[in-house]
Amino acid sequence: MIEIKNLLLDFNGHFKLSIDNLIIPKGEIFAVIGPNGAGKTTLLNTIALFEKPEKGIINVFGENILNLRDRISFRRKCSYVFPQPHLLNETVYYNILLPLKFRGVRAKGNPERVLDFFRIKHLKYKNASMLSNGERHRVALARAFVTDPELILFDEPFSGLDSLCKESIINDIKKTVQLCKTTIIFVTQDYNEVLALADEVAIMMDGVILQRGKPEEILTRPVSKKIADFVGIKTIVETEIVKKENNLCYVKTGGKTIEVVSDYNCGDRVYLCIRPEDVIISRYEEKNSARNHLQGKISYIERLVDRYQMSIDCGFELIAFITKNSFEELNLKIGEDVFVSFKATAIHLIKK
Amino acid sequence: MNFLLEGIRNGLDLILNKDVLFILKTSLLVSISATIISVLIGIPSGSILTIKNFPFKKIVVALINTGMGLPPVVVGLVVTLFLTRNGPFGFLNWLYTPRAMILAQVIIATPIITGLTYASLQDINPELYRQIAAMGATTFQTILVLSREAKLSILAAIIAGFGSIISEVGAVMIVGGNIKGQTRVLTTAIVFETNKGNFDIAIVLGVILFVMSFIVNLALTYIQLNRVKQIRI
Repeated sequence: MIEIKNLLLDFNGHFKLSIDNLIIPKGEIFAVIGPNGAGKTTLLNTIALFEKPEKGIINVFGENILNLRDRISFRRKCSYVFPQPHLLNETVYYNILLPLKFRGVRAKGNPERVLDFFRIKHLKYKNASMLSNGERHRVALARAFVTDPELILFDEPFSGLDSLCKESIINDIKKTVQLCKTTIIFVTQDYNEVLALADEVAIMMDGVILQRGKPEEILTRPVSKKIADFVGIKTIVETEIVKKENNLCYVKTGGKTIEVVSDYNCGDRVYLCIRPEDVIISRYEEKNSARNHLQGKISYIERLVDRYQMSIDCGFELIAFITKNSFEELNLKIGEDVFVSFKATAIHLIKK
Repeated sequence: MNFLLEGIRNGLDLILNKDVLFILKTSLLVSISATIISVLIGIPSGSILTIKNFPFKKIVVALINTGMGLPPVVVGLVVTLFLTRNGPFGFLNWLYTPRAMILAQVIIATPIITGLTYASLQDINPELYRQIAAMGATTFQTILVLSREAKLSILAAIIAGFGSIISEVGAVMIVGGNIKGQTRVLTTAIVFETNKGNFDIAIVLGVILFVMSFIVNLALTYIQLNRVKQIRI
């Protein structure tokens, strides 16, 4: 188990990393996500003993590492994967053996096994400078796992990789982790990586952890407007609960009443959050299980890589995603009237 | 012009002369020993300067950069003052021996090798140092790995260090005394024979010095270029 308590790191007032309490269970893949400059890398550097905090405790497997005199022994129990692979201008095998060489002749480790896991056996005697970016990342990951570390720190390990390559490497990591039972802390800016790899995630902004939980939970149930913005909720409207029946709340915005399942009370000021994926668009009003049906006018359409994003003016600005096929089938244009629907359970309220 | 050709002809007869072979041997012994010692001091020092932060580091770097241009005669003078019978290290009895010459040349070559090693390691991505440290490397292991990574530039530093001392005359003349059969090396012998008007011998010694320097540098350059990927433009 890794436990961080009352950690404070102050860069002369320019930036502060402050973590009151963070516990990461052994064997878990724990993600830390946040925008640039949130303090994610600083957190990893502090755990790797590259930064000295002003105060706090970092217990790693029962030992406060901030009191350690022998930093090298601790680092030999860990691995750190940087955003760039940082390979030496030698063969792949030399690069993978390097952490074992540092640990001496008695170091346990199985280079052949990691070469297999990360599917780079055929590159064993190739010079690292001749590899593609994806292959270099694979070598860096194999090097991280070769010593069977108790803890691995990943700092945006998939940066600069295409989605196919990323997906394949993530699958290899998952398989390897299942066998190694290593604890992994990984920081990223990409929520898709979190969804694909992490058991748990913490949202970090301005040096503080704002929320932690299961990846799907944070995606749909952010605790603040800032987090909602960050996790991709496009429609965030400030409003008030005007009526409540059991756990069904009624909020009014733009002259429309919207039904939401929530524990908040009548009169509470809230932010109404609707994910663009949860909005269904149709040409005609249709009956379905959704509690909310609104009519609106398309105010803009934007083409994304694999879908369209559109804004619908239904008294308030509602952002929705629509697949390419549906968009072409419905033949939607700016200024046209459409009907939108979304479930009461799909909406999330954040108390202001 | 005739005296030049005659000098060369006479000189060729002298190549296998016992004295010349001794001078050649002493030159190689002194300069190669001094280069090896300078490498052993200079590469770790340059690496430590790169990877460690300490107070007054900039002043140390500035001193090393200054040392890269040390006038050999001044080095010779200082070493003599230290090794002279009444000097602080007079008890060693090193003055006018090859040891004193090696010491003087080490003082000349070490800042060159240290400074050029430091400069070449500046080109390596600083994140690589952190990556190596994160893998659990000790300072010594870090130096070994970094030196291997920057081997081409470091080889250039060794070539520069060797080049600066094999051709140097001021320091070895002062601390060695140019004693025949003991401390006479190629450069001091050239000065001596030229002063005497023996141009034939001086020319031969000059050619030998040039060829010897060329062979050593050729060997080092061959190793260096062998490791460079040939890029077609």
